[in-house]
Amino acid sequence: MSFHDIFQAVQDTEFFTAMRESALVYPIVLSLHLTCIAIFGGMILMTDLRLLGWAFQSVPVSDVVKQFRPFKTVGLIVMVSCGILLGGAKIVDYYDNPYFLIKMTLLLLVAVHAWVFHRDVYGNTQVIDRAPAIPAKAKAAAYLSLFLWLGIMSMGRWIAYYERPEPHPLPRSHALPVIPELHRQDYARAQR
Amino acid sequence: MMLAFDPASNPLNNNEWSFPLAECIHIATFAMAIGTIATVDLCMMGLGFRKQTPAQLLKETSLWTLAGLIITISAGLVIFSTDPVRYYYNWSFRYKVIALVLAIVYNYTIHRKVAVSDSPPVVRKMAALVSLALWVSIVFSGIFYAFT
Repeated sequence: MSFHDIFQAVQDTEFFTAMRESALVYPIVLSLHLTCIAIFGGMILMTDLRLLGWAFQSVPVSDVVKQFRPFKTVGLIVMVSCGILLGGAKIVDYYDNPYFLIKMTLLLLVAVHAWVFHRDVYGNTQVIDRAPAIPAKAKAAAYLSLFLWLGIMSMGRWIAYYERPEPHPLPRSHALPVIPELHRQDYARAQR
Repeated sequence: MMLAFDPASNPLNNNEWSFPLAECIHIATFAMAIGTIATVDLCMMGLGFRKQTPAQLLKETSLWTLAGLIITISAGLVIFSTDPVRYYYNWSFRYKVIALVLAIVYNYTIHRKVAVSDSPPVVRKMAALVSLALWVSIVFSGIFYAFT
């Protein structure tokens, strides 16, 4: 049993088939995923900017980190849940997509990031507030967080633009939604 | 001038990377704009950020919100230029443009006024709820564009 068979079985479950084929549920879940990026991704961004000393200068780091935390936790749970629904529905297309694999690797690194910086940065904000300047470690955590999350978002977007070098071995089990880049290519071709 | 508006000669339609790059800039900066607005909204609704007042959060975030809005709309216009006719005739896109204009006007008039004043909690909550609903609906309409 290959990876392909396993992922095919996952994708073919009644649940993920319904998810994939629904004209309404799929875009709604995708929109929710993007809404989480908008609201909670924005909060991650602002936390990082606070640690870099660029935003919220009049608000203590402790207040920013602690007050954003419950929202970011809820947001992450909803965002990942939506991501699992979206990914599971088309996992056969995704599991060997390099952008998808980079995205998953970066997500894993987010967990490593949290583990590495929890003690000295995110769980140590009162000390950071008392320090004369923001410690280098806190800034490093912020830069890395920015890099990881921007990377995750970009790779997520790029998943849709991956073109398989060879034709897919199996007929597609579903119709793709009309995506802008396909249309644009048609448009460009027609004009030539 | 006409050449710049011809989708077939638009650079975004003629290489592999510029269209997704424009989308990534669009997403990252709308996150900055909507994330900062939502922060003020959640404070106005009393759901969080109790150590700060909405007025203080507004003051701290307004520059980032404005920067986010300017860049995300610019990137949005670049994306729009790849296929203006299709966007123009799409109901989801039309909703998005109308809601965006409304949301921006609302954000800098009523929403701002309520956030900095001592309005009763009910008014604050309503003002914040309208703001959140508008911005979320704009995100939804951006996605639904591709599915209609």
